[in-house]
Amino acid sequence: MTVLKTSMRNFFAHKGRMALSAIAVLLSVAFVCGTLVFTDTMNTTFDKLFAVTASDVTVSPKAAKSDDTPQNGVPESLPASVLQRARTAEGVKSAEGGVSSMNVTVVNSHNDNMGSSTGAPTIAGNWTSNDLRSMEITSGHAPRGPTEVMVDADTADKHHLKMGDELRTIAQTGDFKARIVGIATFKVTNPGAAVVYFDTATAQRELLGATGRFTQIGITAAAGVSDTQLKQNMAQALGTGTYKLQTAKENADENRKGVGAFMNVIKYAMLGFAGIAFLVGIFLIINTFSMLVAQRTREIGLMRAIGSSRKQVNRSVLVEATLLGVVGSALGVGAGVGIAVGLMKLMGSMGMDLSTRDLTVKWTTPLAGMLLGIVVTVLAAYLPARRAGKVSPMAALRDAGTPADGRAGWVRALIGLVLTGAGGAALYAAASAKKATDGSGMLGLGVVLSLIGFVVIGPLLAGGVVRVISAVLLRAFGPVGRMAERNALRNPRRTGATGAALMIGLALVACLSVVGSSMVASATGELDKSVGADFIVQGKQRIVPQAEKAMEQTPGLAHVTRYKQLDATLTSPDGQKDTDGLTAADPSYAQDLRRATTAGTLTAAYGTDAMSVGSKYAKKHGVHVGDTLSVAFKGGATARLKVAAITDDDVAIDQGARYTSIATMKKYLPAGKIPPNVIMFAKARDGQEKQAYAALKTALKPYPQYEVRDQTDYKQELKDQIGQLLNMVYGLLALAIIVAILGVVNTLALSVVERTREIGLMRAIGLSRRQLRRMIRMESVVIALFGALLGLGLGMGWGATAQKLLALEGLKTLEVPWPTIIGVFIGSAFVGLFAALIPAFRAGRMNVLNAIATE
Amino acid sequence: MTSAVTIPRHGGTGGRTAVAARARQVVKAYGAGETRVVALDHVDVDIARGQFTAIMGPSGSGKSTLMHCLAGLDTVSSGQIYLDETEITGLKDKKLTKLRRDRIGFIFQAYNLLPTLNALENITLPMDIAGRKPDKQWLGRVVDTVGLSDRLRHRPTQLSGGQQQRVAVARALAARPEIIFGDEPTGNLDSRAGAEVLGFLRRSVDELGQTIVMVTHDPVAASYADRVLYLADGRIVDEMHKPTADAVLDRMKDFDARGRTS
Repeated sequence: MTVLKTSMRNFFAHKGRMALSAIAVLLSVAFVCGTLVFTDTMNTTFDKLFAVTASDVTVSPKAAKSDDTPQNGVPESLPASVLQRARTAEGVKSAEGGVSSMNVTVVNSHNDNMGSSTGAPTIAGNWTSNDLRSMEITSGHAPRGPTEVMVDADTADKHHLKMGDELRTIAQTGDFKARIVGIATFKVTNPGAAVVYFDTATAQRELLGATGRFTQIGITAAAGVSDTQLKQNMAQALGTGTYKLQTAKENADENRKGVGAFMNVIKYAMLGFAGIAFLVGIFLIINTFSMLVAQRTREIGLMRAIGSSRKQVNRSVLVEATLLGVVGSALGVGAGVGIAVGLMKLMGSMGMDLSTRDLTVKWTTPLAGMLLGIVVTVLAAYLPARRAGKVSPMAALRDAGTPADGRAGWVRALIGLVLTGAGGAALYAAASAKKATDGSGMLGLGVVLSLIGFVVIGPLLAGGVVRVISAVLLRAFGPVGRMAERNALRNPRRTGATGAALMIGLALVACLSVVGSSMVASATGELDKSVGADFIVQGKQRIVPQAEKAMEQTPGLAHVTRYKQLDATLTSPDGQKDTDGLTAADPSYAQDLRRATTAGTLTAAYGTDAMSVGSKYAKKHGVHVGDTLSVAFKGGATARLKVAAITDDDVAIDQGARYTSIATMKKYLPAGKIPPNVIMFAKARDGQEKQAYAALKTALKPYPQYEVRDQTDYKQELKDQIGQLLNMVYGLLALAIIVAILGVVNTLALSVVERTREIGLMRAIGLSRRQLRRMIRMESVVIALFGALLGLGLGMGWGATAQKLLALEGLKTLEVPWPTIIGVFIGSAFVGLFAALIPAFRAGRMNVLNAIATE
Repeated sequence: MTSAVTIPRHGGTGGRTAVAARARQVVKAYGAGETRVVALDHVDVDIARGQFTAIMGPSGSGKSTLMHCLAGLDTVSSGQIYLDETEITGLKDKKLTKLRRDRIGFIFQAYNLLPTLNALENITLPMDIAGRKPDKQWLGRVVDTVGLSDRLRHRPTQLSGGQQQRVAVARALAARPEIIFGDEPTGNLDSRAGAEVLGFLRRSVDELGQTIVMVTHDPVAASYADRVLYLADGRIVDEMHKPTADAVLDRMKDFDARGRTS
């Protein structure tokens, strides 16, 4: 009991010194809880949405998938006769035929896309009584006739749509216009999909290009009939195996699966970053407790002298750590909910609507947060606690001034060197791997081992690195600089741990920036080398025929290339099957993308009943030019195509692609099964590049879902995309870096407390406040730069290794983004200055007399 | 007797006054109202230049406070303190710091040295901070005087307590301050090491003309001084010139007895 009491008293007596550790725990726990609450809330939102939209039983075509449009761009459908049969089945209260397509784009009269900017789909369909479950008409009326459309209220709000506005719907089967006659509001939160409704006949005609067909049938059970029972009845009425039958729950589950997978990616990615923050926080906690134990050596010695056992002393420190963990985690859980709400607001500003009504805090969330926070804190405090247990009773009698803890033993050096060496070896193995899959494991191992190795030898490196940094930076500041250097060096373990915390975040930043700019450089290099097309057209929706036509009619173009991806099964002469499909393109594609061949000529592959294969495939299956492959087109006939060329696979674009001509494809695929283009290319007539670019943009203006880019813009876009991705990751890493900065503040603040007497002495003999503050700032800068140097070095090593490994996948150019690296290094110096602000201020305010007064 | 102003303000030592520092009607009080504690009660004192002055008194007599105020480490509630002709009461921290750095030397009881600096660096620290080059010849003489020539590259932790205090003395002397303040400089030393340090202080007064003020409660230490001031309850109650250890001890006993009977 006394142990607990002493711990409590110590904890509250030193709550100022614990504050930064508590904030570190708080931040990490808050991020974990925020992630959990946020993703749970998203899931709740989708669950509610899917629950209300699902009919008791849904009948859909066998091949239909909830989140995918088949390759020809028109949704799978079933005949109206099924609806008739369903209506007469037993236990059916009502049945409605639904038509819906996600392969649409809706634009207003200014050709602005009404779709979501966040990647949520645009859904067009018919309005039925089933839709009343999830929506209500809040203005106007349901659509009647071919020129009427109803939109959801969120979309209407976002795009300022009014009754009477004209909307154009771009579907695979053509464009059509309709005026808004009604606005319907979701009863639950709709996270962002844009929804438009037509009457059934219009939807069938315009979206399916057919009459009397539905994409699904929604059936409502009669009173007292369960969904499962109804499903059985339907199976009896419609026959098993002909159609896909789902209860409401099954339907919702299928819908949820797609979203759930996406949510899990977000969740684990964010938890990963929270984990990094925790890792960084550990260093902070270790430093805090080490310093507290060191400062309390006499006190602990006294406790031991009057009879406390080692275990009791040890435990008392751990109890303090537990208290810290509890306080930090509890606050963190609360802050986590705030973070989740903040994330929802952020999503809202980006166009994804989430409502706090759906805020979901599962009981496991606070539990996980608390547990994680407490366990990590106690584990981090374990080593300092053990050291406290080892304090001898003699310490009470010794006149302990400033604790001198400088030894970084040779055991540590050895372990650190072995780990770093092993990490380096693993990285080397990864860099020289022959196959990317073999190397990735090695890369991971190398990253982890070298990181731990650096953390372990950090205190040893501190000596050398700090001296070098000081020689360059601090010598100019005379004695103040020298004292700052000595202070940074006096406890290498502390400097090492503080620097290591910063190192982790910065190593990741450096690594990713190297990989990112290598990606841009490689892709740009490859584009320059191989892409001959002047213009590239692509978008979220596959290119609809009307857009294709608009492109073909554009003046000033030398050629337009169609490019389609086909589902097909290839059988090579050795009898092996392969379902990777093939690419059908116009022969001009050979000019748009220049590819080297190892045998044959690429133009020959676009001849009748000819094709090309990649060199890897050819080698694996022993395929040579002149061999014949059996190609079973999905939804079409089986062809025997002659291999006319083998392309070199040592490329990043179209690696492993197999080409055939569109003319050949048409021989084997019926017109209705021919897929739309995934991408199109065009070349301008000589000297007309500028005019052609403008003309093409104008021609495709009615189709805002497609981006028209020339090579320069394409490269810029690529760069921007990678840049955006990197910025997002940097944003998430900011958490770890903030915790690391808190660590620097913490170390300085505790050092200042520890050196009270020294500071008093220096002030007494004439060190001015300014000089004192400068000394502390410079110590801080040196520590920060030490961490930055280690982190950037390590990270660039990782990045270079990753590039070497990914070179197998086409990441051929290593590019070190020096501006970023140097920027981060200089930024770290400012971080050091910033971190020292408060500790320096407090040191400056210290009362000289109190500091030097003898006890 | 509340005044120790015994020396004329202008002596015959050239342009400089014969008084290195003086206090006039200095009051130092803590708290207010009921809890008001007066540490210094209208103290007048002159510190003679080129002399070794000891301040004695029982615990709580205000001797340390007086020293701190004279040295510009502490502020006074009222009254004036002059260092030479400069009034230091009312100076801002910046000026005070500069004054301590350039004109005053300190020797504390313990923790006198920065553990990160070696002996020589500690000795030259005040000059380094000021950005002044130490006078090599003088520095050599000081180092020789305190007998540290072979210990200059040692860190404080590698020195004995006596050696550490000698480094502190050397630091105080090296910058040639107008006045050195010592706060129980031998309090933590055994008698032999203490005698050594006091011997150096005495020699620096005799041979180098240094002015020294030392707070102590040790009659033996006080006997090294030219003049002893006795403080009790924040007032100067007595003084003694050319003291001997026995005389000081007797006087102390006297005060103690008086304190008990009154």
